[in-house]
Amino acid sequence: MNDQPSAVVVKDLTKVYGQFTALDRLSFELEQGRILGLIGPNGAGKTTAIKILVGLARASGGSASIAGHDCLRQPKRIKRLVGYMPDVFGSYDNMRVWEYLDFFGAAFGIRRSRRRGRIDEVMEMTGSTYMRDRYVESLSHGMKQRIGIARTLLHDPSVLILDEPANGLDPQARIEMRQILLRLAELGKTLIVSSHILPELARICDVVAILNHGKLEAFGPVDGIMRTIFQKRTIEVQLDDEQGVAGAARLVRESIEPDAEVSESPSEAVVRFQTAKPESEMGGLLASLVAAQIPVTQFREIPADLEDAFLSVTQNAKQAAS
Amino acid sequence: MGHAIIERELISTLRTLRALVLLVTVAIAFSLLVVIRWPSNATVELSGAQAQEVFRLFAYGLLAILVLMIPAFPATSVVREKNKGTLALLLNSPMSPASIYLGKAMGMLGFVLLLLIMSVPAATAAYAMGGISWFRQILPLYGILVLVLVQYTTLALLISSWTNTTDAALRTTYAAVMLAAVVSLGPHFFLQGQPGLLPILADWLRCVSPVPVVMELVGHGDAGTFGLATTETLKRFLLFAGGSSLGFAGITIFRLNAFLLDRPRPQGVVTDERSTAQRWARRFVFLVDPHRRKSGIGLLVNPIMVKEFRTRRFGRIHWLLRLVSVAALASLMLTYAATTGTIDWGVETIGGIMVVLQVALLLVLAPSLAANLISAERESGGWELLMMTPMSAVSILFGKLLSVLLTLLLIMLATLPGYLVMIWIHPPLRWQVWQVLVCLGWMALFAMLLSAAVSSLCRRTAVATTVSYALLGVVCVGTMLAWLGAGTAFGHGIVESVLQINPMAAALTIIEAPGFTTYHLVPANWWWMGGMCAACTLVVLVQTWRLTRPS
Repeated sequence: MNDQPSAVVVKDLTKVYGQFTALDRLSFELEQGRILGLIGPNGAGKTTAIKILVGLARASGGSASIAGHDCLRQPKRIKRLVGYMPDVFGSYDNMRVWEYLDFFGAAFGIRRSRRRGRIDEVMEMTGSTYMRDRYVESLSHGMKQRIGIARTLLHDPSVLILDEPANGLDPQARIEMRQILLRLAELGKTLIVSSHILPELARICDVVAILNHGKLEAFGPVDGIMRTIFQKRTIEVQLDDEQGVAGAARLVRESIEPDAEVSESPSEAVVRFQTAKPESEMGGLLASLVAAQIPVTQFREIPADLEDAFLSVTQNAKQAAS
Repeated sequence: MGHAIIERELISTLRTLRALVLLVTVAIAFSLLVVIRWPSNATVELSGAQAQEVFRLFAYGLLAILVLMIPAFPATSVVREKNKGTLALLLNSPMSPASIYLGKAMGMLGFVLLLLIMSVPAATAAYAMGGISWFRQILPLYGILVLVLVQYTTLALLISSWTNTTDAALRTTYAAVMLAAVVSLGPHFFLQGQPGLLPILADWLRCVSPVPVVMELVGHGDAGTFGLATTETLKRFLLFAGGSSLGFAGITIFRLNAFLLDRPRPQGVVTDERSTAQRWARRFVFLVDPHRRKSGIGLLVNPIMVKEFRTRRFGRIHWLLRLVSVAALASLMLTYAATTGTIDWGVETIGGIMVVLQVALLLVLAPSLAANLISAERESGGWELLMMTPMSAVSILFGKLLSVLLTLLLIMLATLPGYLVMIWIHPPLRWQVWQVLVCLGWMALFAMLLSAAVSSLCRRTAVATTVSYALLGVVCVGTMLAWLGAGTAFGHGIVESVLQINPMAAALTIIEAPGFTTYHLVPANWWWMGGMCAACTLVVLVQTWRLTRPS
């Protein structure tokens, strides 16, 4: 964490629909210029949280503010501060891209002389200049996502809230989308991005919030969350042939915790295990394997990814609930 | 295979609220008609005149309901499947296009036949009153109505296969049905009794509409003949309806293939990138070229209004210019034809025709422009984006309504030359024309506000469009059924009370059109219109304000 002021502050935010609690005392702070990844299974409360932040839904309790302005009490101010891209594009028939952006620019009260330049800027920023004269309804999904971001940037908001921006995009378009988001963060914009394409989020987000059943299960930098969730590391020992697998597994069991999980895969000539022991002790294990003339070709830690973390958190929550 | 589609179409239609409302409304309306006119005294009426009047109202009412309501169901059938992607699944199945088509058409017709069956008890009761023949009147009427249903269902399915949105399908279908049922009568009205080929063609064209045949059946003579002999109306109608139904079905079946979904994306070529010669040629053709690059929206202009004009296919200025030109020309031609024709109609009749045509124009245009104002935004997700802008609910609504009002005003103004000619022919009419224009102004305002109010209450544009057309149809066409039964089925007082809510009837009474001279509907009609406009404004304002609040 740095000394930047908090751009988004959420405290005990709660949303209840009848008997159903969509958001349960959600609290977090996000510094200016950071990218927050909001992840969670379907119905976790991501869109509800986003809608409250942008002033499209009322909260049942708690507070939320953006750049010091209350999202619940100052919706007009929030509209100027926030650029929101919903998961639905909101297309208009018979309108060209330039006319579409011109309309939203005018709706935000940007003067015509300034608007022209601004439209060119945001199209340049999102790599969509070549679509200027195309009809909006004829654009592909990826093109629409770019225009959607261009639209959110028109009034130069300090915070961008994007609901599933990578949804339905092909790999190439996803890479391009990632580059656009990183470019925006470099420009000092604060971004809140909800997505279920977790590898994408892991690559761009400074901070991740994992929501499940309306509750914040984990919040912090991706590495920090990994360390918290995965206290044990997964190590894989690759051998030259299957003959050494049993011996290697026996040595591993002797060196690590007695209750640790060790799996053998003779067909792959691999032994995998999980341990909380430090790296220094792993060096000793490798040395003993070599000393026992076991033909080790690789000895490596398998990095956990955000998907594993997400699954682990949601499964833990499910177990706790049951 | 076809049975699966028939069942799905029929059951899914029957499950909708509008189907239930329609069936129940038809049953109640016709039951009431018979109950009200059922003889209450002990004297037997031997002439059968009362039963004939009930039968006439019944026949016209049923025809009006079918013409107003039925296109709504098949018009959205193919286009909805196309947009949802289920048409691709059907076309990818082993079913042939003919099988898919027949399944859809039969499913729709099954529902409509159910609607007709709901009216059978009322027809039987009218028969029981005496003086009506099952075989010469009731059964032929049902036969003609079934043929009308087949014709309009096949037409609606064909239009549905051409269009890309459900509301465009509805608008086009209603316009086509209005052309076939009402406007096709116009040329014969003016040209009858004249020598040459045109009157013969007009006489044939008249038979496209089911109105003359139904009029003959109920003993009202033929539409617009003024006692002149008519020839083989029924045969011609059967030929047109049967032939066109087969033609519409054939074309739609031919179109139901993978190419229906194989559309290239428009590349958006703009005129600014064309050669100088091409640019000049386009300017000459369009006057205002729709494909030139636009300047930005001005500071003092409501952006929502500009957006509405730009997103409407016919809202672009070059289309408006064409529409206004056609309206002005039609107005002048009508007056010219009437003043130089062989029949001396008098300015009252000319005025009456102009009023009816203007109301028909407003009835077609106003819901098509206003019924999608809010529902389409909610349906496409655009409403959420509008809510994220700093524009207020009033500003959004003002821009939207202004875009409709300006279009309607422009078209209304274009029809004024006809009235100027009328005043030139008969100067004392000046005050009456002024009052007629007030009635038409109320009509335009009411049609717009009612459609906008319905739009604010509906989530789906297709529903909003259908409900708007139906409500306006009830006010402007439905109330005229009471006028048709004046003197026999209904007394003068009842008819006058019913007509008070109809601005078209009010305009016709002012212009002293034949049949309306004994009624006094103004200023009562203006009060009614004012009240209904105020109520609709309130609904649309409250609903828009509510929709712009956080949920």
